[in-house]
Amino acid sequence: MTQEISSLMDGELDHNEAGRAIRSCCASREAGDTWQTYHLIGDVLRGGKPHPTSTAERVRIALADEPAIIARPKRVYETTIGRVAIAAAASVATIGVVGWIGTQGGQMPASSAVVAGKAMPAPAVQPVANTTVVPPAALDVQDYLTAHRQVPSPESYRAVNSRAPAAAAR
Amino acid sequence: MTLARASRARRLVPVLAVGIACSAQAANDDALGWLQRAVQASRSASYAGTFVHMNGDRLSTVRITHVNAGGDETERIEPLDGPAIEIVRRNEEMFCYFPDAKTVRLDRRITARFFPSILNAPAETIAKSYDVKLGKSERVLGYDCQWIRLDPRDDKRYPQRLCAEVNSGLVIRAKTFDDHRHVIEQYTFTDLRVGQQVARSDVRSIFEARVKRWTTDAQPREEAKSVDTGWIVADAPKGFQKVTEIKRTLPGRPQPVSQIVYTDGVASISVFVEPNSAPVRTSEAATEEGTTTFFVRPMGDQVVTVLGEVPLATAQQVGRSVSRR
Repeated sequence: MTQEISSLMDGELDHNEAGRAIRSCCASREAGDTWQTYHLIGDVLRGGKPHPTSTAERVRIALADEPAIIARPKRVYETTIGRVAIAAAASVATIGVVGWIGTQGGQMPASSAVVAGKAMPAPAVQPVANTTVVPPAALDVQDYLTAHRQVPSPESYRAVNSRAPAAAAR
Repeated sequence: MTLARASRARRLVPVLAVGIACSAQAANDDALGWLQRAVQASRSASYAGTFVHMNGDRLSTVRITHVNAGGDETERIEPLDGPAIEIVRRNEEMFCYFPDAKTVRLDRRITARFFPSILNAPAETIAKSYDVKLGKSERVLGYDCQWIRLDPRDDKRYPQRLCAEVNSGLVIRAKTFDDHRHVIEQYTFTDLRVGQQVARSDVRSIFEARVKRWTTDAQPREEAKSVDTGWIVADAPKGFQKVTEIKRTLPGRPQPVSQIVYTDGVASISVFVEPNSAPVRTSEAATEEGTTTFFVRPMGDQVVTVLGEVPLATAQQVGRSVSRR
């Protein structure tokens, strides 16, 4: 078969033989490699720049030509866990629940594997002092955020209303 | 630092001019001088503008008007997103107007800080926790601007970059980075007037005239008086000073919640202690977005909550060192 390929490249085969050689060349991987190797030898003998032959080599060269990606990748736990948005503090100071990190014996329950329709790769989340990611839950952040930043929110006048009966009782 | 930048900086802060051109001490003084101007300007200057705040992936837009007349600060804050509210601050007194609920809420400023007034300690205090250096000069929002770099001296806080307008010293853009050098919080003015163009009448509340028929809630102001909560933070990170200790009413809780506030001049931390009532918390939990970190920890029949603009490890250190006095 190698003789057939060699002859094909040299233009020594007639129409029928050439057709058969081309079909066999594309039929097996071994023949394909031979075809490429012969072309490489030909290229080198003619003094030209050898054309890369193997797929791995072509991918490597293509990758080298790719521009470097300098934008920051999203932090994994931001993108994979899904967010529970908390409309906090009149938009001035806001916080979203991006993850729920249990720091004491937090085994991830099976139900946490899928949150917001996306798989959550737990090992990708950076652990902080033996922390394990467990599903986001209704962490009541807003009251504390409001108190911390002293930013008025609807919650603060709800507190007024809830106090009113107590005040009247006094 | 280039000679050109050094000489430009000295020309703008002539008080700090020094004889030795390349002295590191001179550069350091320069940076501290710029930082102190930035601290001062947010209080002493008059300015009006709109800023955008990005924390994590969240954006909000706020209009701010600030006037200093004879040493008295008056500031009007209007969040432009979400329900209409307005905050007017006269020195430390805060008036929060809720037109929907026809309520005005009185409070005393403790931690409330709106851009560009994000620094709450003198430059020397900030310099104890952060290495202060001058960055590049550039044009921002049509103003010539000098960047000030605050790099933490330990891993307990985040690096900051402040862009000070050269004439007033006012911070017109600010960025906070995490330890991977990613921007996690940003403030920037999108329009700004500084100085004489801002009138005293600009800070008057738009609701003040209608407020007579509104409910006045003075309880937050009463609660802002400092008390002994009976709790201490035994292991606050170096540089964080206690600002106040109060008891706050939070929605849905029968008892007031103890709140102890710490700051290093840039970042602040609130520590809350309250009874561990239903639903009873049995394990530690945390969330973070942008610079805001939330850490909660059960402690016997109490629960400790830490919220601040610090890395999670710092919030954990604070939260785990709370004990009875």
